[in-house]
Amino acid sequence: MAQTKRKKAGIGMLAALLLATTLAGCSKDNNKPSASGSASPNASASGNTSPAASEANKPDISKKVTLNWYLLGDAHKDTEKVVAEWNKMLEQDLNTTVKLNFTSWTDWQTKYNLLLTSGEKIDMIFASSWADYYKFAKKGAFMDLKDLLPTYAPETWNTVPKQDWDDVSVGESIFAVPSTFPEYTPDGIVYREDWRQQLNLPEITDLNSIEAYLDGVKKAKPKVIPINGKAWNEQFYLFLSNFDFKQIGGDSGLIVAKSYDTPRDIVAYPFTQEFEDWVKRMKTWAQKGFWSSNTLSDQQEAGDGIKTGNGAVYWRNPAGAGGFINDLKKSNPDIQLGYFPFTRFHNYATPNLSINNGMAIPKSAANPERSLMVLDKLRNDPKYFNLMTYGIAGLHYDDLGDGKHIVVPAKGQDPKVVTKYDIASWGWRYEPNMRSEEGGWDGLDKLNEEFKAESKPNIFAPVLMDYQEVKTQVTAVNQVFQQYGQPLMMGLVSDPEKALATYREKLKKAGIDELLAYVQKQTNAYLDEKGIQ
Amino acid sequence: MKTERSTQVFNVAGYLILTLISLLCLLPFLLIISGSFTAETEILADGFKLIPNDFTLLAYKAVFSEPGQILKAYQVTILITLCGTLVGLFLTSMTGYVLSRKDFLYRNQLSFFIYFTTLFSGGLIPWYILIVRYLDLKDSYLSLVLPALVGAWNIILMKNFIKSIPESIVESAKIDGAGDFTIYRKLILPLSTPGLATIGLFMALAYWNDWFSANLFITSGDKYPLQFLLYKILASAAVLKTNIAGNLSADMKPPAETLKMAAAVVVTGPIIFLYPFVQRFFVKGLTIGAIKG
Repeated sequence: MAQTKRKKAGIGMLAALLLATTLAGCSKDNNKPSASGSASPNASASGNTSPAASEANKPDISKKVTLNWYLLGDAHKDTEKVVAEWNKMLEQDLNTTVKLNFTSWTDWQTKYNLLLTSGEKIDMIFASSWADYYKFAKKGAFMDLKDLLPTYAPETWNTVPKQDWDDVSVGESIFAVPSTFPEYTPDGIVYREDWRQQLNLPEITDLNSIEAYLDGVKKAKPKVIPINGKAWNEQFYLFLSNFDFKQIGGDSGLIVAKSYDTPRDIVAYPFTQEFEDWVKRMKTWAQKGFWSSNTLSDQQEAGDGIKTGNGAVYWRNPAGAGGFINDLKKSNPDIQLGYFPFTRFHNYATPNLSINNGMAIPKSAANPERSLMVLDKLRNDPKYFNLMTYGIAGLHYDDLGDGKHIVVPAKGQDPKVVTKYDIASWGWRYEPNMRSEEGGWDGLDKLNEEFKAESKPNIFAPVLMDYQEVKTQVTAVNQVFQQYGQPLMMGLVSDPEKALATYREKLKKAGIDELLAYVQKQTNAYLDEKGIQ
Repeated sequence: MKTERSTQVFNVAGYLILTLISLLCLLPFLLIISGSFTAETEILADGFKLIPNDFTLLAYKAVFSEPGQILKAYQVTILITLCGTLVGLFLTSMTGYVLSRKDFLYRNQLSFFIYFTTLFSGGLIPWYILIVRYLDLKDSYLSLVLPALVGAWNIILMKNFIKSIPESIVESAKIDGAGDFTIYRKLILPLSTPGLATIGLFMALAYWNDWFSANLFITSGDKYPLQFLLYKILASAAVLKTNIAGNLSADMKPPAETLKMAAAVVVTGPIIFLYPFVQRFFVKGLTIGAIKG
């Protein structure tokens, strides 16, 4: 009896506690909207005054403005501090403050889409070809900056190369400010260099030497699976690069141009002789155990295999390889890694489009002029650039003063507490202001030199395709590709010749020919427009 | 009292099967917990194990390197769940009561109007525009509470439940001079506790598990609810596996497998301990409802 009473009292107390917390919570909750409500009239009021400002030669900044900016990804844990610092400077120089928002990576495409289609008041947003810049630009989601740039971002207008402005032009309009950072992200592989030397295997220079390397590793270390994890990327990009098949418009699936020099010669690669030879070769690779038989469903990254000493090869672009190699230097200093970029198959590299990263102003912006002025400062003034890109000097980094390198974190800071300041700052990259980290993998700089020397313009990425007319074919072809194409290319079928015949037949049925015709048409239209033969 | 042999056999078999099934249900949790205590390299090398060779607390140290964030997220989630559920229950039960009263002339039309919204919805973009542009709730706790506050389905449930309370009770109270709100508060609410418990459970679970509205509307980190925080950790790992990763800076690293497990334990753990206590409450409420019909 006494016990039940006590229990009841316990429940009663809990209920009281819950009620108390609820009430406290509700009252806290009520304060919030009023705070945000008072901020908004401010922004809209200032929007009315700005058109008048555009008349004057020297932009009028007498009105204090709060801008709303959006970046992709997540904030750093010190972002608040950094932005507060930035706002202090902005307030002084431009009478402006910026509220910096992040989309976070959760479902970011949906969110990005909503931000641009809902007409939310946003003054600047990250834009990129891989975040559908061209699609949104064509739909009219961004503001045309052509007339604003010379007045409000004069330095940027003059320092961005003409070619880069061309990249972001859609028709006669410019919808974004591209980053100025010629970047090469060709495919390539990271491999265990120490094993190569130890086993006396040939230097990696071409497909045969890669095969010899994988074979040598597998024979000498039977327990090692050379590509330990999902080996699809390693294999697929090797295939494309080896034959110089170029994907069009970013990722065109099975349709490729046959080589860089013949951009109009477009084929579906499964129907080529090269593909036939390739799948036969891959069959032998799979048989030799270069990857496991469940490789297509494996969710492990091949890089993890290297970390544990059970793998030898990992597909990365040069920057990614740099990060991976730096990482491993710290965690497994006994492992020596090498890098082989696939550009060496045909000895040329194409830079990314300038709009691979950039900043754009949505149509709904309240203060586009001020936003451009902020961006101009951010890109070109090293004080601004360093703060927002590398964090607070003396805390997140130390400038070495050679104009090239920084130390992360600053001297006397505990690297466990102060982590490298890293947000999605790619949109305002400007090469002369960029610094690399002291003590990083030096191979990256050398590779970039190599790429620059053999650079050819990127003519395939800007081809804009939305696949609207051939939607059903795309879905059907993708399905066939996953069901028949992937196992075939990974050498996981018993009879490659038979499987190839089935694959080709299924592709025909799925409508690969219509898809090919569509890509051909779009590519021709683009090449005609740009005057490329 | 002696039970028959067949009953005994049945009981033994039943217990055995149920034990097996519950063990199967427990296994994934065990894997998460043991995974969170395993060294990262061990997971990479041999995969997950029930009993780790190498016991380590590193993942938890990483999770609690910023304990403020998780505590804050807990606070937000609890606040939203409590506020949302209590206010929601109040509104839902009131609507249900009004719709169940026979002397409300347009009750059928209004019921249909509410029911109608379950058949059609404006979709994501109009919803987003409404909340962000017209209600101006971006980055406000209200954007997490308001959308799920009153659900058509819950109102219909509540209305049907209140219908089962005899009309004469209301009438007798009226004769005694009670006003409509007093009747609702003093008679209807206490009599419909089983219904309130059921709907309250639905709502509380919905609020607790909701990460999507936070994903859309919350932009400042200190307002993230718990589920979204967890989801965010996993999502940034997923992004690194797509080809966007090539464009990202090389320093962005996926969270380690063990960290994911530890985060899951930290986020779900306390609720699991709380559940048996709260559950008893609900089961009691539900069975009372069942007996009374």
